[in-house]
Amino acid sequence: MGKIGIIIQREFNERVRKKSFILTTILTPLLFIGIMVVPALLMKLKTSGPKEIAVADASGIIAEQLSNEGQLRFLPKDASLEELKAQKNNGELENLFGILVIGKEVMENPRDVQLYTYESSTLDIENAISQQIEKIIEEQKLKQYDIDSLPQIMAAVKTDVALTAFRIDENGNDKESSSILSMGLAYVFGFLIYMFVFIYGAMVMQGVVEEKSSKVLEIMVSSVRPYELMMGKIIGIATVAITQFLIWMVVMFIGGSLAMQAFAGDLAASASTMPGAVPPGLEEVNPETIAAIKSITDIGFLVNILGGFLVYFIGGYLLYAAMFAAIGSAVDNVADTQQLQLPVTIPMILALIIMLNVMRDPHSSMAVWFSMIPLTSPIIMVARLPYGVPIWQLVLSITLLYASFIFMVWVAGKIYRVGIFMYGKKPTFGELLKWIRYKY
Amino acid sequence: MDILKVEHVSKRYAGHTALDDVSFSIPQGSIYGLLGPNGAGKTTLIRIINRITAPDQGKVWLDGREIAPEDIYKIGYLPEERGLYKKMRVGEQALYFAMLKGLSRREATRRLKEWFVKFGIQGWWNKKVEELSKGMAQKVQFIVTVLHEPKLLILDEPFSGFDPINANLLKEEILQLRDKGATVIFSTHNMSSVEEICDHITLINRSKNILSGEVNDIRHRHGNNIFQVDFRGDREKLRSALEGQAMILEGSEEDTIYNSLKIHIPSNAQVREVIGFINDQVEIRSFREIIPSMNDIFIRAVAGNLADQKEQ
Repeated sequence: MGKIGIIIQREFNERVRKKSFILTTILTPLLFIGIMVVPALLMKLKTSGPKEIAVADASGIIAEQLSNEGQLRFLPKDASLEELKAQKNNGELENLFGILVIGKEVMENPRDVQLYTYESSTLDIENAISQQIEKIIEEQKLKQYDIDSLPQIMAAVKTDVALTAFRIDENGNDKESSSILSMGLAYVFGFLIYMFVFIYGAMVMQGVVEEKSSKVLEIMVSSVRPYELMMGKIIGIATVAITQFLIWMVVMFIGGSLAMQAFAGDLAASASTMPGAVPPGLEEVNPETIAAIKSITDIGFLVNILGGFLVYFIGGYLLYAAMFAAIGSAVDNVADTQQLQLPVTIPMILALIIMLNVMRDPHSSMAVWFSMIPLTSPIIMVARLPYGVPIWQLVLSITLLYASFIFMVWVAGKIYRVGIFMYGKKPTFGELLKWIRYKY
Repeated sequence: MDILKVEHVSKRYAGHTALDDVSFSIPQGSIYGLLGPNGAGKTTLIRIINRITAPDQGKVWLDGREIAPEDIYKIGYLPEERGLYKKMRVGEQALYFAMLKGLSRREATRRLKEWFVKFGIQGWWNKKVEELSKGMAQKVQFIVTVLHEPKLLILDEPFSGFDPINANLLKEEILQLRDKGATVIFSTHNMSSVEEICDHITLINRSKNILSGEVNDIRHRHGNNIFQVDFRGDREKLRSALEGQAMILEGSEEDTIYNSLKIHIPSNAQVREVIGFINDQVEIRSFREIIPSMNDIFIRAVAGNLADQKEQ
């Protein structure tokens, strides 16, 4: 086993055995599954008991037509707001959630509607009430036109468009595509790259600073070349990151398919019975959903996305880790790294901001340019992948990324070699650049 | 035979010269003191021997060949700034360093167990380094340095941080390694330990080699013809009698229960004459040359006051 191999092994073993690694590796997928499952569970368990709302309707039109919906129970009352309040206070209407007051001239003045509640009300409740009242008033107004067979006409007019999107690939074959899924994947994977590069890049930096401040480097450099030491650390931590990512993928896949099984039935049922209140994208089993399900179960598509993710993650990580290693070598403690980190963090944050734009228009010239520039391409290109990217762009971008990684390792190696023996004053960027030209 | 030869080595950093045309050679099987005040260039020289940095000019020869990358397996280096991974376990860490020095895992384990027994630290194998005291960590570090049985050991202040008992244990180990054939370069400021264990030294000051040679030879060479005579008899009588023969030096005489005087005799040829003269005056109990300590020589050399010193 070569020396780099021994170093990689140590970096891997030390980090993988840490409690913090084991915890984040287990907890993160649980968190993700939680984020996916909890809303579904909440929808299931939403009925926190009926909410009684007394209706004081001065117009006499609305109250009778309000229908109980979800948890809302409407109680038409022939009383004023003050009287209803008194009834709640003396216990006659003990379970009252709120009082809805409708003005006498509500047909002409639809703003004359007030809701008084004893607990905080929610946007859902308020929307449900105002939608019902709007509908009742609209129907009343329509009736005043005296149109024959109005209900039949209304039913005949009502239309629902269901658009199915296809993407034509280079071979002229078309395939159902889902822009919601693409967007979701773009966002998740772009963000994952950002997170991984930062977390693990910073880990490289901390490792270097720790070796330097604990003077371990003094012994190390008498048995290995600084370059081997730096590469061993960078690659060792990369193996930790990849291990973690693979564990996450497996856990998420298993957890995801279990959750799918548990909730698929419920989702379909709720989609057909209760229109309106569910989040967009799931209103009905619409073509978008079908396309999404088709794509996500399409192995070729998945391999494309995951493979692209890995290639860009590794390239991006290596590029940034080399920079982080150089920074770590230049300072004596982690606190001093803040300022030197700026040129590393700025392109990353910039990439994240651009990514949000790219997701809206993945083939704009901005998207193409930033998916070529190596400092931003790992995030931007991964975000573009689900939308389909021409092969030549992919090849060019990957070549640029890995070429600049090799260049950066060379530069970082030079800085590292000088930096690890420099103690005391925190260097400036100018000095770091000078170190590159030092000869040893 | 010389195991290590440093030939006209110079090293400049931006703004200052760390080493300026330094040459010396280290005989096989010696304990060689590398001395010098802080910032003189010792660490740079050690780094060059270790191949951590390369000299701007000059060459380093190990075992008759110009030093090459694989020679680091023949060298064991104990830096002045001790460092171990704090979170790692002692045994694993020692194994790691040993493997980086080219030992197989099995061989390294076997040797480590031996050393741990020798130092009475068998119980530490699974301890984390951060649980160890400074002296304990030093022991581990020493073991790591010598484990691959290097031909050349470079020890930078090896005794700092040890109590006298452990320092003695370490000294015995160093001497034993020497007896088994290792050559030791010993960098220190502690001159009494130099007298105790070094047979040769090189003194570096302001990036130059200002004094090289065998310790005994150097000490004799730099004796200033100062003698101490212990006697029974009248001190004042001797004192006045010696006027013109030798210079009486003031200052405390070294341990004696007799009357005693320190004198300077200008030339060696006069020594027997002076003894005869003193013998006529008083009853001599002892007469000996006061040989300067390495400490004196160090201070005088650095101040530039040695008689035969090379030009600075």
